[in-house]
Amino acid sequence: MIGPAYERFRLLGLHEDETLQYCANCKNCDISCPHNVPVSAINMMARAEQCRKKAPCLRDWIVAHGETMAKWLTPLPAALKNFGMDNPLTRKVLDKIGIAEKSPLPLFAPRTFRSLVRRLHQPANAKKVAFFPGCYTNIYNPMTGIDLVRVLNRAGYAVEVPDGFVCCGLPLISNGFLDEASANAEKNMAVIARYRKEGVPVIATCPSCRLMFIQDLREFFPEIVERYGEPDVGDAMRFILDLVETNGIDLPPTREGNIPHHFIYHAPCHLRAQGQGLPSPELLRMLPGVTVDNADAGCCGISGSYGFKSEKYAISQKIGEELFKTIRENAAETVVTECGTCRQQIRHGTGKDCLHPVSVLRRILDRG
Amino acid sequence: MIETSVLVIGGGATGMGTLRDLCMRGIPAILLEQGGLAHGTSSRFHGLLHSGGRYAVSDNESARECIEENRIVRRIARQCVEETEGFFVLMPQDDPDYAEKWIPACAKAGIAIDEIDPAEARRLEPDLAPDARRVFRIPDSCVDGFRLVRHNAMSARRHGGRVFEYHEVTAIRHEGGRVCGATARDKITGETMEIACQCIVNAAGSWSGRVAALAGLDVSVSPDRGTLIVFNHRFTSRVVNRLHPSSDGDIFVPHGSITILGTTSTPASCPDDIEPQPDEVLHLLEIGEPLFPRLREYRILRAFAGTRPLYTPGNAQGRKASRGFHAVDHAGEGLEGMFSIFGGKFTTYRLMAERVTDLVCTHLGVTEPCRTAAEPMVPDPAPDVLEQAARYFPMPDLSLMADRLGDDLPDVLGRARARKENKSTNPLLCECEMVSFAEVEHIARDAGTHSLTDIRLRTRLGMGTCQGTWCALRTLGALADHDIALKKNPPEEIRDFLQERWHGLRPALWGAQAREMAFTRAVYAGSLNIDGALHEQEN
Repeated sequence: MIGPAYERFRLLGLHEDETLQYCANCKNCDISCPHNVPVSAINMMARAEQCRKKAPCLRDWIVAHGETMAKWLTPLPAALKNFGMDNPLTRKVLDKIGIAEKSPLPLFAPRTFRSLVRRLHQPANAKKVAFFPGCYTNIYNPMTGIDLVRVLNRAGYAVEVPDGFVCCGLPLISNGFLDEASANAEKNMAVIARYRKEGVPVIATCPSCRLMFIQDLREFFPEIVERYGEPDVGDAMRFILDLVETNGIDLPPTREGNIPHHFIYHAPCHLRAQGQGLPSPELLRMLPGVTVDNADAGCCGISGSYGFKSEKYAISQKIGEELFKTIRENAAETVVTECGTCRQQIRHGTGKDCLHPVSVLRRILDRG
Repeated sequence: MIETSVLVIGGGATGMGTLRDLCMRGIPAILLEQGGLAHGTSSRFHGLLHSGGRYAVSDNESARECIEENRIVRRIARQCVEETEGFFVLMPQDDPDYAEKWIPACAKAGIAIDEIDPAEARRLEPDLAPDARRVFRIPDSCVDGFRLVRHNAMSARRHGGRVFEYHEVTAIRHEGGRVCGATARDKITGETMEIACQCIVNAAGSWSGRVAALAGLDVSVSPDRGTLIVFNHRFTSRVVNRLHPSSDGDIFVPHGSITILGTTSTPASCPDDIEPQPDEVLHLLEIGEPLFPRLREYRILRAFAGTRPLYTPGNAQGRKASRGFHAVDHAGEGLEGMFSIFGGKFTTYRLMAERVTDLVCTHLGVTEPCRTAAEPMVPDPAPDVLEQAARYFPMPDLSLMADRLGDDLPDVLGRARARKENKSTNPLLCECEMVSFAEVEHIARDAGTHSLTDIRLRTRLGMGTCQGTWCALRTLGALADHDIALKKNPPEEIRDFLQERWHGLRPALWGAQAREMAFTRAVYAGSLNIDGALHEQEN
């Protein structure tokens, strides 16, 4: 028994319930609760308490500290890192410490998004927007970030990627490292507050990072939110959709001979938990020749680092089963979804290609 | 005709404590209770096991009794007490001079207090008012009144005592100025029971005036009404008192997974005047708010009221009336063998029982000393017993269940094990209080159980956040599946059960609670059409 029901007994001093470790923090409970009870936050805080009493294992430290690990490994070339990590021997070793051998670990990109964007020449646009890239884009999938920068350049924006931003803290919280997450929140909030003062919007492409800012921080660290004000981090796709609707960005005209594109879209749980609708399919459907089916088949099962863990891998695949089936049976060859680890899991579960919607947008805009 | 030496009237803490004391001293005794055990005031208070701090200034003698009994009850009734400790909090609106009187008064009564920095208090209890001026730690504890009565009964039974619930005394017989017996009516069957005895102990609390009247005596007992609010969460893990002269709504008591705020004090028209009113709830919220500023944001689970049996010779009323107790031998009024125990507090129930038993012993010429302070009421199960049993139960921690079951525990563990061996399940019927089928089955098969409400009182089923929305139906379904019948048919049981819950819900029916209630109604009246089912039963 977990959630608010067990929290009452936990406060009373009863034994911890070990099943709490099986909460994926997918937040579907938050979505369904009619009373807006922050069920997942209650679970995560209870788990942090468990972790204070009994230190998390090495595996949990590793999956919680993707950003730190990437920093340590920076001097090594990506090919070596990936070979080092993704060869059958290492996977056996990782399996021993609790990272499932079959799980779809992401590969390191040759260069991080931060190093790429520093060298990227952006037009000298007057309007500014700050981008919170998140670990997945920065370490494993920089193209999502580059595509966003290019789309926004087109709309007359210069995109800043502040050095002060660190991991949003979600993987830390999910694995019980609440204190470190608090230190990260402090750093990020200082940066966000600075931009707010300058009137520059801050946006994110990762729904989980954004949810962390707009919802979770208030639950976990109310005193930090009080000190710096509400972290008004916007959803990148909503931001672009607003630009389209106010003619801030021109879409290619519909004409005969538009190449037909067919996508299937998966709404990540952490996007649905934000309760802001689904801006990505709405935006993509405005593009000429594009049809988007909404998979609407629940959670993919990965939930950040959850599906990588040996004891949870099978559960994670089972959760994703319905979504995988829906995607496999759909004629679309490409899946579109905002969340990096969802894409990882969907590729693993369906064999189909997966893209962030901003990448799709950029390709079609570039083609004209 | 039942023959015994002593008849105790009243199955609350004092009466049951008296039965236990009599039996432990080897005196044959029986007890009659007009409702279920603890149906009166012993289950209708805030559940505070006083340290005595509240009475230190106004009645130092009572305070001393409280701290002494507090230590004893914590020792003999470990399963009924949660040793939370308490805070006394001086707020800006309180008189700082009172604290200066209170500190030496506590020392005089033998109550250990320890002043802590208000910031430290806030660290321990984050929801406490930030503007608290001074905070003192004190050995207050929380006690489950109902469980304490039941565990006393278990102990009394082990020493030969007999308990009759739902038996109302209708007459007290005496001959030549001596008590010789009583007549009671079984409220379930309607049958009459005759008892022959040498002594009667009137421990009927708020009803003791009526009982005395049956013997032709006139005593001054004024029921005084106290209303309390139950919140659905444990927002404080300590008892929190205002450091000022006793007043309404100044005590918060965590009680398992809930918190109780009490109490009001108004003269009651009769001992059964226990329907809480919305204005009392609003009044309590207003005066409770200084200690917990976010009070109005918490969901109120229900409100309830009880009547204090104030002993009021000379017509003192309300908070001015003494909280002390009086053991009376009515021989002085011409009736030998008749004893009454008036007034008092739950915390000192054992001492009250001891004093009245002393009087009875003197009358009967028994010299056996009182041993109730020395012997624990129910044995603790061996730790490995619970660990091994955990795999038969759907919850990770059996201590809640073990503590409430006392002597009933071995049977419940046996039932759960048997179910596992038969490959049947032992589902959780009540998640709010963690009650599994095996526990419900044991209680439901007990001869003293007649209704879902009886099951509730012994298991706490239906007393948590859902207030019966889920567990009532689930439990009746499970009982029907196993051919365990209660007194009434299932639709009637559900109606009565929900109706009883409704009395407590109604006075605080706004906000989140109103929504929950609408939901419960939709489930039972809409989806399940309970009214329709009742009509079908009637036809």
